[in-house]
Amino acid sequence: METTRIISKDDIVELIDRFIVAYQVIAPSVIDDRVMYKYVSDASEVDLEYRGHTLLPPKRFFFPEKEMLFTYEISDKGTVSIYDKCEELKGLQRVFIGIKPCDISSLKILDKVLISEFHDPYYAIRRNNTLLIGITCSEPLDYCFCYYTGSGPSTDDGYDLLLTDLGEEYLVRIGSNRGLMLIKYNIDLFKEANEEKIALAKKLIEEAELKMREQGLPSFENIYEVMIKNFNSKIWEEYGRACLACGKCNFTCPTCTCFDIFDEVNLDLKSGRRMRVWDSCHFLSFTQVASGEIFRKSRPSRVKQRIYHKYCYSLDEIGVISCVGCGRCIEVCTARIDLRDVIRRLYGYE
Amino acid sequence: MNNPYIPNLTLIESIKEETPNIRTFRLRLIDEDLREKFDFKPGQFIELSVFGYGEAPFSISSPPHIKGRFEVTIRKTGVVTSALFSLEEGSVVGIRGPFGRGWPLEEIKGKNLIIIGGGIGIAPLKPVIECIIKDRNKYGNVILLYGARTPKDIVYKEELSLWSNYIDVHLTVDKPGPEWRGKVGVVTTLFDYIKVDPENTYAFQCGPPIMMHFVTKKLLELGIASDKIFLSLERLMKCGMGFCGHCSIGGKYVCRDGPVFSFQEVKGFLEEAI
Repeated sequence: METTRIISKDDIVELIDRFIVAYQVIAPSVIDDRVMYKYVSDASEVDLEYRGHTLLPPKRFFFPEKEMLFTYEISDKGTVSIYDKCEELKGLQRVFIGIKPCDISSLKILDKVLISEFHDPYYAIRRNNTLLIGITCSEPLDYCFCYYTGSGPSTDDGYDLLLTDLGEEYLVRIGSNRGLMLIKYNIDLFKEANEEKIALAKKLIEEAELKMREQGLPSFENIYEVMIKNFNSKIWEEYGRACLACGKCNFTCPTCTCFDIFDEVNLDLKSGRRMRVWDSCHFLSFTQVASGEIFRKSRPSRVKQRIYHKYCYSLDEIGVISCVGCGRCIEVCTARIDLRDVIRRLYGYE
Repeated sequence: MNNPYIPNLTLIESIKEETPNIRTFRLRLIDEDLREKFDFKPGQFIELSVFGYGEAPFSISSPPHIKGRFEVTIRKTGVVTSALFSLEEGSVVGIRGPFGRGWPLEEIKGKNLIIIGGGIGIAPLKPVIECIIKDRNKYGNVILLYGARTPKDIVYKEELSLWSNYIDVHLTVDKPGPEWRGKVGVVTTLFDYIKVDPENTYAFQCGPPIMMHFVTKKLLELGIASDKIFLSLERLMKCGMGFCGHCSIGGKYVCRDGPVFSFQEVKGFLEEAI
């Protein structure tokens, strides 16, 4: 499958405008001085040259922060009818352009969780109906560590097309038949790539890797054993005391999927809807049952839960760690808990 | 593709008052095809919807050999259960499932079994007892230790006297009334009245976390191996499919990998409470 093309920066604007005619297009765009993924209606809104990653991860476009699962209506006779909201998603056709490799990797993890023995149809339909045009990362941010988690600054799969910014143009790698079709339909905008361009892209990616490697993090090779060994470590007490249990790390994490389910009732009291919203394992109420019992009452146990889920339990569940090294949780943490410090300490680096 | 979040409409066929705040609801799926296909193992649970109030998980308390309908025994505690208690026979609710893994009934064939229940925790154990009674000669010595708070909190009063014809039943209450002639004390005190051959004995238990904590301790003291001690854990499973995270314990989900676990499987991760 791996073949490459070149597209100029002018032509990519044209390509995005063509997409906008046929698809709903999601792209990085500047909102209030921050780059965010959003629906765009004009190529001029798109910023493909952003550093690092967006403030919020892409998961909300596949697994929204609040979503209606179905509506129900109770008749006067007491019979109930249900309308499945999945039906409305089936016509969706989207292109997601400018998604970074760390975020592409996060979708691969979400796939393993949500499209497994059971099938989350709301996620699966959106995922199937969305083409991914990724872009490799040349300028990681200070808290990026995707090199260590093996999820960036480039990726070998998980995309339909993958761009690398070469200055005046993009190298385009083709990752799927759907990606190949996109090129075929817009053949006038693409040129063949030569060895020199491919080598330049490789060099840029290696430079980005080098920048991250200056952080001197341990390799994640034997992380499972390290986590098991440290289950009763004193550091959890310390991080538990520092943690404010605000849940920001969960909501900005591209792989956290915890949610709550509840009903909302209309004023007629005869109809309503079942909703799901993102939830956080840091919240005290997260493990509370109806009788009042709370199974993870202490903050250290909740801090542990999230970090163990990422680096230990996830290996049991889906065979990979569920962290893509984006560092968003580090950026947003009010208590300044830095996952990289946690990892260094677990490995006995300091 | 079936949407596993959509509840199947279900009729409340009858309601039986077990105690002042515990009722058994007999349910029947409305769709004939689904009703015929509905099958489960003792210990599995369903997600029950009361439309407008939400959804909550409940163990099935009837045995799988009774076809076409099934029962759930529920204590009125939260929003969904309170709404359910306001419904009458003939009302429509929704169910999803069955979910999870039940009790290892095959594994215990030919072995002895101690069943320990506390309060409403006897509900997921009831189908175990009923399956054993149906095939009584396939199992060894079977003992039920059941504890309730007060005599009027004892669930399945009629069933308990019926079961005592087939298995060894011991009851206790924490706070006796003037009428109570039986034993008094927490459920672990009942261990004083029984003889256990630890090599050939399994234990199934369900009850409040504090009960399971002390019962597990007792069983280990008696020499029963941790892979022969099974618990049905309570968590607020929201999705039933291992997605929502509410019931995560270590690398396992109570909804998908449980609710029945051997103590061996979960002991390292039961941090604060069983």
